[in-house]
Amino acid sequence: MPKRIALTDHVQCDLVDLSDFARQVQVAFSDAQVDVSGFNPAGTNEYLPGARTQSVTVDFYGSYGAGEVHATLYPLYKGRLTTAFKWRPDGANPVSATNPELRGNAKLYDYGPGAQRGSEDSYQVTFMAADAAGFDFFTT
Amino acid sequence: MKTKYKVTGPVAFNDVQPGEEFEAELDPDLEARALERGSITKSKDVKKGGSDAEADSAN
Repeated sequence: MPKRIALTDHVQCDLVDLSDFARQVQVAFSDAQVDVSGFNPAGTNEYLPGARTQSVTVDFYGSYGAGEVHATLYPLYKGRLTTAFKWRPDGANPVSATNPELRGNAKLYDYGPGAQRGSEDSYQVTFMAADAAGFDFFTT
Repeated sequence: MKTKYKVTGPVAFNDVQPGEEFEAELDPDLEARALERGSITKSKDVKKGGSDAEADSAN
């Protein structure tokens, strides 16, 4: 696989293509590391993977027009709703083994737009996996 | 029953570009949010089998 410069990523939330309003995507999958160590001659620890937490954090430009970022995301937070989230590296090409798409149902537990004089309006939004299926990468 | 929608927002919706139409059976809550924020407008209900029913906008 070649290296790439992230330029054409596809970000979709609640079926709305928010790619043009997003500038960074960070997937975070993490399993709790549960200590199941017993006494042993070497004194080493033993761990098992525990509960899994999955999230995707996106840097969005603040945009308040109809059908844009705020109009899409705030109702989801306000209503504590579950929505479909998708991200894939190359939005210009279909999903494939070399262009896997992250999909899952998500909830927003935080929502915090803001602004600073003279700076671009941007803020992070974290999509937390909302059901047992979690987030996963699909190749078809 | 599928419904015909037109994408009226500034960006693609359901992988359909602004100004284009598509047919889908959207979740009612998702549809309501999309209509409310102006992502789409309803064009027509489409009967299973492809023929169009009465225009929804007439209701």
